[in-house]
Amino acid sequence: MANELAAFSNELAVVVARAGQGVVAVHARPRFSSSGVFWRPGIVVTAEHTIRREEEITVTLPDGKNVPATLVGTDPGTDIAVLKVDFAHPPVSKATAEPTPGNIALALGRSEDSGVNATLGIISAVSGSWRTWRGGRLDHYIRLDLTLYPGSSGGLVVNAAGEALGIATSVLSRIAGLAIPASTIDRVVDELLSRGRVSRGYLGVGLQPVELPDHQKGLIVLSLEPEGPAAKAGVLIGDILTTLGGTKVDDTDDIQAVLEKHAVGQSVPAVVSRGGVSQTIAIVIGERPRRD
Amino acid sequence: MRGFGEIAEKLRRSTVQVYADKRRGGGSGVIWKSDGLVVTNAHVARQSKAKVELWDGQTFDAKVVSHDARRDLAALRLARAGELQAVSHGNSTAVRAGELVLAIGSPLGFSGALSTGVVHSVGPVGGMGRQNWIRANVRLAPGNSGGPLANSSGDVIGINTAIVNGLGLAVPSDAVASFLDQGARPSLGVTLRPLSFGLQILELEEGGAADEASLRPGDIIIGSFDSLTESLDSGKDVIRLQFFRDDRSKVREAFVRLRSQAVAA
Repeated sequence: MANELAAFSNELAVVVARAGQGVVAVHARPRFSSSGVFWRPGIVVTAEHTIRREEEITVTLPDGKNVPATLVGTDPGTDIAVLKVDFAHPPVSKATAEPTPGNIALALGRSEDSGVNATLGIISAVSGSWRTWRGGRLDHYIRLDLTLYPGSSGGLVVNAAGEALGIATSVLSRIAGLAIPASTIDRVVDELLSRGRVSRGYLGVGLQPVELPDHQKGLIVLSLEPEGPAAKAGVLIGDILTTLGGTKVDDTDDIQAVLEKHAVGQSVPAVVSRGGVSQTIAIVIGERPRRD
Repeated sequence: MRGFGEIAEKLRRSTVQVYADKRRGGGSGVIWKSDGLVVTNAHVARQSKAKVELWDGQTFDAKVVSHDARRDLAALRLARAGELQAVSHGNSTAVRAGELVLAIGSPLGFSGALSTGVVHSVGPVGGMGRQNWIRANVRLAPGNSGGPLANSSGDVIGINTAIVNGLGLAVPSDAVASFLDQGARPSLGVTLRPLSFGLQILELEEGGAADEASLRPGDIIIGSFDSLTESLDSGKDVIRLQFFRDDRSKVREAFVRLRSQAVAA
């Protein structure tokens, strides 16, 4: 009788060996290396949180050679970093079908000592557009039921056919590893290659949802960044923000959604209630300061 | 289809529990040859004798015939047993990342527990010498030590030995074969603590090679773990060690006679 389990095991090993050809080890932090993926010719993507230095970054190629890499840019919001490597390696092939919960997924990484590595699991949840706690937006939320080990972050997540679903990250969710979707990586890589950074709109306010006496909802300003965009426009602590850019806002997610639609430098009208009197203030959207 | 269940059941019959005193816990072992040769970890069989309990509850006395602390392997011979069901041995040099694997053992006292996963990677582990390990994302717990790691055909490719960062670490089966062929690698008989410039001796095994050479606890052997391993494996009977004692400006020397630990199995 044919051993189907052995055949399946062999197929997995073949997928790992083949797809692993597009996976590199990234040396940009002390102790553990992380993994990265040839996303475009000469372009390696990895998880931003594993980049702890901007210079003297090297990557270990599938043939075991170490080559220098330069940091093109990072987007902490989506946990993506882009590296340039002087090595024309064909990029990984991307999945055409949408991932579905229950599909088999493999996370592939690489380390200098022991080459390609793999963990197996399933896609445990998929949903639409999702905002990370770091402020970025992923086109899909793809939760992985597989163990990510130190060094797995930035590695390639593939389906059973060996096609790329995205790259693995352990920091965007507290309960599980996520795959940063391929379409999000494409978008961020484009932006980082053309501008070196992904800029996000910023008001410089700390907000708390409140209910007004007329059962309307709004966001009360609890803190103001000195010299921030809102402070410069004359917003005061205690103001209750009800509308931004013509959209009713009753949650901080609504604010993010409005900011996403407007470019940095653009002026948006904000309706605030101050002492029970409604007034409109024009705020010029600033750029969110970088973490470091 | 030959599933996990069938393979696990067969493997379970070749997996044993190894302990000195059951109340104080123990580990697992693998029936390597049907004539009564059992392989386990050196850290499971610390003494010269152990008890071995088969899957069906039969318990035998066993003698430790070979012990290699550095490779963490020990060979035991059962005192009295008929024909046993031995495992089939896989080729660990052919192991690839992504292959399905099964681990059987007695984690936390549960006899014959199964966990499954895939091979994560094969290679050396930082700070653990130059030998290769099979890393697998199988869930292991204390008590799995010494038990088998098998591939999807049920062939044993390694001995589960440690858990590092949540990954199971197994000694590859080819290392087990060479341990059984060649016996234990020579050992200094010391417990070492790595320092920035050397290795400090914390404990000495009485009558061990380092003890015989008059090294003392607190002495600092100059060099790294890797360089020490290399000189131990050089095949020489006597190795020269440079060390500090108290005064770190004065390099002292000791000649250590390594005893051959090969014991007929």
